[in-house]
Amino acid sequence: MTTVGLSGIRKTFGSTVALADFSLSISSGELVCLLGPSGCGKTTALRILAGLERADAGEVWVDGVDISVDPPERRGFGMVFQDYSLFPNMTARQNIEFGLKVKRKPAKERAKTVDRMVEITALGEHAAKYPHQLSGGQKQRVALARAIATSPRVLLLDEPLSALDAKVRESLRDEIRRLQLEIGVTTVFVTHDQHEALAIADRVGVMSNGRLEQLAHPRELYEAPANAFVAGFIGSANRLPASSEADDRWRVLGRSVAATGVVSAPSVLAVVRPEQVAVEEDGPSRVVSTSFLGPITRVTVQDPQAGTVVADIMSVDADWIRPGSSVRIRLRDDVERVLLIDGS
Amino acid sequence: MDPLMTASRKGFVLRWGFLILVAAYFVVPMLAMARFAFQNVPTALLTRDNVFADWSISGLLTALSNPKIVSSASISFWIAVFAIALNFALLVPLAIVTEVRSPRLRPALTALTLVPWVVPPIALVVGVATTFRAAAPWFLGNTLCLVPFYALWAMPFTYRVLDAGLQAINARTLYEAARGLGASLWTVIFRVLLPNMRAAMVAAAMLTVALVLGEYAFASLLLKSTLPTEMVVYEGRDPRGALALALFVMVITALCLGVVVRLIRRRGVSITVTGF
Amino acid sequence: MRVLSRPESRLGILVSLPFAAFIGLFLIYPVTVVVIKALTPDGHLSADALSRALSGTYRRGFINSIELSLASAVLGGLIGVVLALVVATMSRPRWLHPALESWSAVASQLGGVPLAFAFIATIGTQGLVTRALAEMGLDLRDYGVTVTGFWGIVLVYLYFQIPLMFLVMTPAVQGLRQSWREAAAILGASPLRYWLSVGGPILAPSVLGGIILLFINSFTAYATVFVLNPGGALVPLQIRFLLQGNIITGEEDLGNAIVVWVIALLLLSLIIMTALQRRALKWIHS
Repeated sequence: MTTVGLSGIRKTFGSTVALADFSLSISSGELVCLLGPSGCGKTTALRILAGLERADAGEVWVDGVDISVDPPERRGFGMVFQDYSLFPNMTARQNIEFGLKVKRKPAKERAKTVDRMVEITALGEHAAKYPHQLSGGQKQRVALARAIATSPRVLLLDEPLSALDAKVRESLRDEIRRLQLEIGVTTVFVTHDQHEALAIADRVGVMSNGRLEQLAHPRELYEAPANAFVAGFIGSANRLPASSEADDRWRVLGRSVAATGVVSAPSVLAVVRPEQVAVEEDGPSRVVSTSFLGPITRVTVQDPQAGTVVADIMSVDADWIRPGSSVRIRLRDDVERVLLIDGS
Repeated sequence: MDPLMTASRKGFVLRWGFLILVAAYFVVPMLAMARFAFQNVPTALLTRDNVFADWSISGLLTALSNPKIVSSASISFWIAVFAIALNFALLVPLAIVTEVRSPRLRPALTALTLVPWVVPPIALVVGVATTFRAAAPWFLGNTLCLVPFYALWAMPFTYRVLDAGLQAINARTLYEAARGLGASLWTVIFRVLLPNMRAAMVAAAMLTVALVLGEYAFASLLLKSTLPTEMVVYEGRDPRGALALALFVMVITALCLGVVVRLIRRRGVSITVTGF
Repeated sequence: MRVLSRPESRLGILVSLPFAAFIGLFLIYPVTVVVIKALTPDGHLSADALSRALSGTYRRGFINSIELSLASAVLGGLIGVVLALVVATMSRPRWLHPALESWSAVASQLGGVPLAFAFIATIGTQGLVTRALAEMGLDLRDYGVTVTGFWGIVLVYLYFQIPLMFLVMTPAVQGLRQSWREAAAILGASPLRYWLSVGGPILAPSVLGGIILLFINSFTAYATVFVLNPGGALVPLQIRFLLQGNIITGEEDLGNAIVVWVIALLLLSLIIMTALQRRALKWIHS
């Protein structure tokens, strides 16, 4: 199994710096997601990994070997593109077979491999169709099959689900993860959708402006974001005033808690997730609006001290909350620690 | 730099070498034409020393002042004007109606306007000549009888340009919006659609002018005196002058077409001859 | 499908009527007359004229015309495609692509008499290039290139064939997605392999269609060849000779028959070209 990584990568396009001293190390069999808004450099990083772009500085290495100068044809990777990129003049089967043909595998072996690919991506009779006859989801499955048919060392996916409808996106996302685990191929997955990243990745690298802000397990990103950007990007976050107390403790939303993060800035804000806010009857705050989201109801409250605060309440407990109600908001009792960020 | 695009030295040389060869092929005949037309030195006597000797545009001036040339030029001009008018009268309403109300007609119309292109001019001339000779012999005697033929010949381009122009301005949506606001049909056509079609119409007109300036087959078969036919006659008498004239006409044609390209590009209309 | 309101449906008919009348009178009717006359020489139905139109000198004429058109179509087609490909892969200089597009839009329309004159001045007996080559001791005639001969005329036709092919192929070439190229590379394919397996097959219908377009374009060309070689054995010239003027050669029906064959040939080409065009669009827009 293959380990892969980038180290010290720098890439500029004209006057824009796409990547600045970017380093990433991926362990064998791991699925790492590169997550970030458009223009953060995640796709550039992937393309440099693939060999489709050449970095201005830095190295790309696989299993400890520097492959920076190798053209894409020789890297032995597999790649799935956002626009599927299926060859329109070939059927799905022929597309899947293409990489094997290039490698000069004998016909019998090719047929067997293609059959297996068709089976594990559940393409069925669609395998004999041409790309223009397939739906988006089917096309992407063909693209996936084509990419893994050659048993690549590393699998690269460039926003493969962005062009699909929500329902298809979810099921295909899980399918990709299932396949990846089954085959055990080291995978890099680029996306701008945090739900996707959190759902399937072993680790997620959050990027912004060409820099890796935090690389960690999804849970860690959610519960212990390294900085304001990550906190704001992953999940939703309230930024609330916090006042310092004795013993390194802080007062946030009516409770005293411990804190991590930027504790020494002149003005700080606490990052509080909506599900960490409790809403009680009778208080100085006023409900502005409620949104029924199924199991959760999102309540937006205007507090005289904290400003606008968003709270997520279990819908069964939220019956009594109406726009205009007077309420008190509090940090829930089970919250022991908050992240502080620079409030200036 | 993208490693996939051959930024290699070899690729660079090959590409530019090819482009220069092609450019040479297109430029040299024009230069040769200009030299023959404007330099008073016979080719056989041309040596490296007298390459820049004895150039003058007298040949062109003589040709331009020749009465036959002038009259045939004016005839060609008026034929072009009438052909353009005829085509617009027939096609503009049709194009508008097709785009706005019955898009199903479009493929049939496009195919139909493409037919004149497949039929050799001689067939048209012969067929029409036989009928008209019997019924209305005066028709073929008049030089203006070329107008319907030229209109027909220009139809493929004219229709496509008009159609593309309408599609580029989303005529259908404009029409429905205007009607929704209470405008009458005529108001919509004259105050909304036509002003927006100006670019396409000028382009179509220029294409027709270019066509008329270069069309020889119809005119000579019907024994008419147009600029192209007179040029051929003139060549017999004064080859240098004729070539100068031909070059002059070519430049004008190129300018007209240049305008067409400019207009089409600016309005975002894109057409190809066959829509590949 | 919208229900047409009364005044507007009447308008539709009103608008189509003059057009239909015009097309009918000046296109449909003459062609029908020619076809009928070709099928009924001497007043009764027979294939006599049609078969005579394909024999003897006329057979030669057809073969010559087809050869000439094919030569200029294939040569012009190949050079045009390569030009389109070369230009598409060059992102610099920035002005190259628009300049070439404008130029080819113009150049594809130039032709006829001025073009013939230009080439006479270039490779004719008194031509500039002929003279320059003579200085270097080369004679074009040794290579079978004269301005009135087969290859000379092909050379002249290329002047508008190449730009036409370039115009037609540029959209097709631009439709070749970068990501196909990249996907092929990741799968291990060399550039050659990509062109053989993906790029070539995708472009093929457009290229073939383009060549057919060029074929049609050159088959009916009249003015250029009339100036260069009026006595040549080519179909347009032969038709003219048979049908021109007051010479009642009695061979009028023969001329009609030749015209019918020409129309049939070109119509067939047009149909094949349209079919190829549709196939090409389907792939490129998948």
